[in-house]
Amino acid sequence: MAGSEFDEEGGPRYCGYTEYEFGEVDTDDLPATGEGATGLERAVWDALYEVEDPEMPVSIVDLGLIYGVAVEDGEAKVRMTLTYTGCPARDMLLGDVEAAAAGVEGVESASVELVWSPEWSLNLVTEAGKQSLREFGVSI
Amino acid sequence: MAEMLDPAALSADDARAVVAELETLADDEFVMAERYIDWQVRGPTLEADLAIANIAQDEYGHARLWYDLLEDFGRTESELIWERPHDEFHHTTMAELAFERGDWADCVLRSYLYDHSERLRLEALEETTYPRIADRVGKVVGEEHYHRDHAENWLERLSEKPRPNEAHTRLQDALDRLYPHALTMFEPTEHEEQIVESGIRPVPLADLREDWLAITTPFLEGLGLTVPVPDLPESGVRGRDGTHTDDWRGLYNEFTYTYEMLDRDPAKLMVDPDEAGV
Repeated sequence: MAGSEFDEEGGPRYCGYTEYEFGEVDTDDLPATGEGATGLERAVWDALYEVEDPEMPVSIVDLGLIYGVAVEDGEAKVRMTLTYTGCPARDMLLGDVEAAAAGVEGVESASVELVWSPEWSLNLVTEAGKQSLREFGVSI
Repeated sequence: MAEMLDPAALSADDARAVVAELETLADDEFVMAERYIDWQVRGPTLEADLAIANIAQDEYGHARLWYDLLEDFGRTESELIWERPHDEFHHTTMAELAFERGDWADCVLRSYLYDHSERLRLEALEETTYPRIADRVGKVVGEEHYHRDHAENWLERLSEKPRPNEAHTRLQDALDRLYPHALTMFEPTEHEEQIVESGIRPVPLADLREDWLAITTPFLEGLGLTVPVPDLPESGVRGRDGTHTDDWRGLYNEFTYTYEMLDRDPAKLMVDPDEAGV
């Protein structure tokens, strides 16, 4: 079980339509933050850090939405998820991510793959993300 | 079991079976949501409005997840929803039925009957051999449990004693009206055998139907309702095969209206003053 610093009682519930429970997500490789990335991949991660969630002032990387970045022969691929299937900002967010990756010098094209597994959960929010959310007024 | 990672590499039979399973899933979710929003701003309380709007939003989200996977087979979202002929939709006929004015009992009962069937079907799909469905099932299941809580809470409220009372009578009427249509949820498409054999959904609909009856019948009886004999609609509509009630035409025309208008010259939409008096 990841996220041992949390207990079930402390699990906040902000909104009925988004699951903020601490689910049993396989966090072996997550959250992905680009730690150790070099070269163009590092640059893409840096660009993704600049993309914020549409509702809260937190980077989508720190929110744990990005599952992976790969750059090969100038082609950037980003794999990501969303917190909620009914997210009305889906196209906007995917567009922002694609544009951010494509805007990196040395990247010729970018594509985004949206996946729903592993499911996003609070366990995927980084310490920096939690700090941003606390400053915004969310108790986490 | 062969790996089915690449939609383009499926056998023709498997591809048809995957498409059939996805279409019934997606169309059920989409049309349920389309009907739920009839209640938006008309619920019995503001809380009820918010809840039903929220449930509708979930179902639209889930519909979109399944329509995404249908796009793998070549159609666009527009082609799948706004350009698809009305008789090529495969949702349960229960989803399309118009609500009788002010009949909130129908809305929560419909949700109850649907959401239990959906849960059983999604649980069966957790064992799917088709990886692109497997990737999404968990997320959808996780967003569904409060739909059932919501429906059950309301059904219990509407069944409070002393009975009979108007709420309970309406509930029984809604059950009698909806029940045959609810059973179309378990009507097979022509691809059912292939769906089960290839493990796309390893559990046959006939088994899901039995499981659903075993869950819903005692609960409804516990509310003092008489559960009808499980017969399909007498009119012969089955939903899964593209046959639908007249209510479907009205709903279909409504949700495709704006899309249809996109291609038209707005001036043509206005009544010609010379003809207005005719």
